[in-house]
Amino acid sequence: MEEMKDTYIQEANELLENLESSLLSLEDNPNDNSNIEQVFRVMHTLKGNSSMFGLTKIAEFVHDLETIYDKIRQGEMNLSKEILNTTLASFDHLNRIIHDSELQDPKNIENHQELIKKIHTFIQKESTATNANVTSATTMENNALRTVQVIFQPNEDLFLDGTNPLFLIADLTSLGKNCVIPHFKRVQTLDEYNPTFCITYWEVYLETKVPKEEIMDVFVFVEGNAKIEMNEFPYVNLISNREFITTVNSVIFKDALIDKVILTEQIEKVGEKVSSVTPNAKGVIVQDADAAVRIESKEKVVSSIRVASDKLDELMNLVSELVTTQASLTLYNEKNETPELEIISENIEKLSRRLRDIAFGMTLVPINNMFSRFQRLVRDMSETLGKEIQFVTEGGETELDKSIIETLTDPLMHIIRNSLDHGLEKPEDRMFLGKPRKGTVKLKAFYSGISVYIQIIDDGKGIDVEAVRNKAISKGFLKEEDVLSDKEIFDFIFFPGFSTAAVVTDISGRGVGMDVVKRNITDLKGSIVVESAVNVGTTLTIKLPLSLSIIDGLLVEIEKVNYIIPLSVVNKCYEVNNADMLHNFNKLLVLEEKQVPYINIRKEFGYQDLVEDEKSQLIVVSDGDHEVGICVDYIVGEYQAVVKPIGKYYKNQDFISGATILGDGSIALVMDTHKIVELYTEHVKMEVR
Amino acid sequence: MKKNILIVDDSESIREVVSIALQSEGYNVFTGIDGQDGLKVLLENTNVNLIISDLNMPNMNGISFLKEVRKIDKYKYLPILILTTESQEAKKLEAKQEGATGWIIKPFVKDKLLAVVKKVIR
Repeated sequence: MEEMKDTYIQEANELLENLESSLLSLEDNPNDNSNIEQVFRVMHTLKGNSSMFGLTKIAEFVHDLETIYDKIRQGEMNLSKEILNTTLASFDHLNRIIHDSELQDPKNIENHQELIKKIHTFIQKESTATNANVTSATTMENNALRTVQVIFQPNEDLFLDGTNPLFLIADLTSLGKNCVIPHFKRVQTLDEYNPTFCITYWEVYLETKVPKEEIMDVFVFVEGNAKIEMNEFPYVNLISNREFITTVNSVIFKDALIDKVILTEQIEKVGEKVSSVTPNAKGVIVQDADAAVRIESKEKVVSSIRVASDKLDELMNLVSELVTTQASLTLYNEKNETPELEIISENIEKLSRRLRDIAFGMTLVPINNMFSRFQRLVRDMSETLGKEIQFVTEGGETELDKSIIETLTDPLMHIIRNSLDHGLEKPEDRMFLGKPRKGTVKLKAFYSGISVYIQIIDDGKGIDVEAVRNKAISKGFLKEEDVLSDKEIFDFIFFPGFSTAAVVTDISGRGVGMDVVKRNITDLKGSIVVESAVNVGTTLTIKLPLSLSIIDGLLVEIEKVNYIIPLSVVNKCYEVNNADMLHNFNKLLVLEEKQVPYINIRKEFGYQDLVEDEKSQLIVVSDGDHEVGICVDYIVGEYQAVVKPIGKYYKNQDFISGATILGDGSIALVMDTHKIVELYTEHVKMEVR
Repeated sequence: MKKNILIVDDSESIREVVSIALQSEGYNVFTGIDGQDGLKVLLENTNVNLIISDLNMPNMNGISFLKEVRKIDKYKYLPILILTTESQEAKKLEAKQEGATGWIIKPFVKDKLLAVVKKVIR
């Protein structure tokens, strides 16, 4: 706030200048309404600004002054010579107190009071005492835990002022344990249905201590265009009551609230059940809470159990089958359009998605288990090598699929060995370079999107780009005249038969390792990148998918073949004219004022090229820091894909990472967008050249 | 995705206070110095998610601005918050009539402002 005060003072000065000139021209033309408006507006802004900055004395003063001009512009008062004089005197006073907002100067205080008195005689101000007691009217009773029923029935035109009722419901549900029941007004025919009308209304049950006023406050902006009813009941554990849930299920999505009689009956019933334990209502809650605590502590004891991993595997298989079957149901329903079935099908979809998430969660284990294994390795190796090494791990709580962790152990072991052996220098060499004696190897894991990153960072001597380059040339991987980026040169490390170590030691350095490391990681649908600077250190970053077998995907069609693009990489979809892409010299499309490169998959996959007068869908996917558009014929929709391997005959290609069976039994291929982008940017680059 | 918010107020101080508060929460902020300017900024930018506008402004006041915005097809359902003072109860209702989503009463503190903003966009 403080640094913004300069802006305030500067603007106040401008406003006052403005005010002065308006006042002076008002003096010449007392009946000019535009001048009065101007004076009023300037005062109003000054008042607003002052109160924003907490300068209440100025704000109040200007408020009173403004009131005079408000009355004048409403025609309730006439502009007199005295008023103008007082205003001009006030203006001089304001000029001073802007720099003395707390009225520390006694002269200012005197002046202030005198002017206020004068102003008050003009507006005959009534006592300013406001009813300060009104706000504290919230009663104690309000703060007790109770069940509140809120019925929120928006008018049909609710959307017209930009209100999103779901935000209000979300606000409401943040107030306590709740149960939200949406109801739909009956729409008879498609002709009657107007999507701009709000035909939903809500019945919400809340268990909360929040006072009534605060609950009503949620709806403060919609009071005028919604019917809001609130009923309070004593607290009974209604929301988790089985009978109540059955009642809820019977009215959900229907055009009827829970019947009042039934509701009261149920509340009484739940209440009775509890009070039969103890007659005293207050005691009930305490006892209930006690029981809850007991159950909770019991649950804590059995918080984890051992399950045979093949059982988990089978569970995963079954979930996969369920997801596929659910897709058939959705498809069948789309064809037949039975509203009742649609509700069931949507529910099953929701449930299977949750089931999928939970089942996957079960197979995830924290990466810590693996990290601790390396601790020992580092200790033993540091003795063998005569190096002082500090091993740091970070993000051990990051969870990964059990099978991924198992496959990952060997590659990681190899990388760490490499770092210790070739990366870190001997203590005396490090001292010579001005580095701490102890070298550091850091193992770090973290989430990003649906991927997990694992980094192995050392502060050793780094990799010399030139050395790698020369080696690549001597091995015949590279020609003398080739120009490559550092990143591309580092990639040679992963070539089979490549090792830069001058001496082959016992521990590593036979060059049989890194290519295997890369292959292992690629098999897991991951990628590995090396960054390094001489004498600063090396960072290897491994990116892995969180889970392998079920993904949320975007189902698209190219030449009547279905493809799945993982939803996690999709940024946006656009419809584009084929002509724009066919007659484009630099393979860039301008979308929302941004240039986006695109890949014409039809061409790359060897299909017939795009038809000139038609349109295509451009799926913009993110690939690392870049965005690339992939052009397809149609977007079918979102799809939960159970990814199955595509068999060894297809292992020589990279851009399809798996296949999935659609609801109708046909097959969709899962695109590996990263590989596609990698592969075809090369083509595009060449073409553009 | 960052949300874009257009602030329309003739007072530089208010624009600054509101901008800084919103930016600190990760919102993108555009500003207009009166209704006319606000309309111009609105049309220049592709995607505005919320407008916060003062009522008392030269050239084009808040109410006229509101009416103009609602005439734009794309922004028919755009959330619009108006800045108002306690004393302007009638103005508040008039603005609501003309399609304002809600209001922020001046003076306000940052938390209050952000709470109201979160009421209308997420």
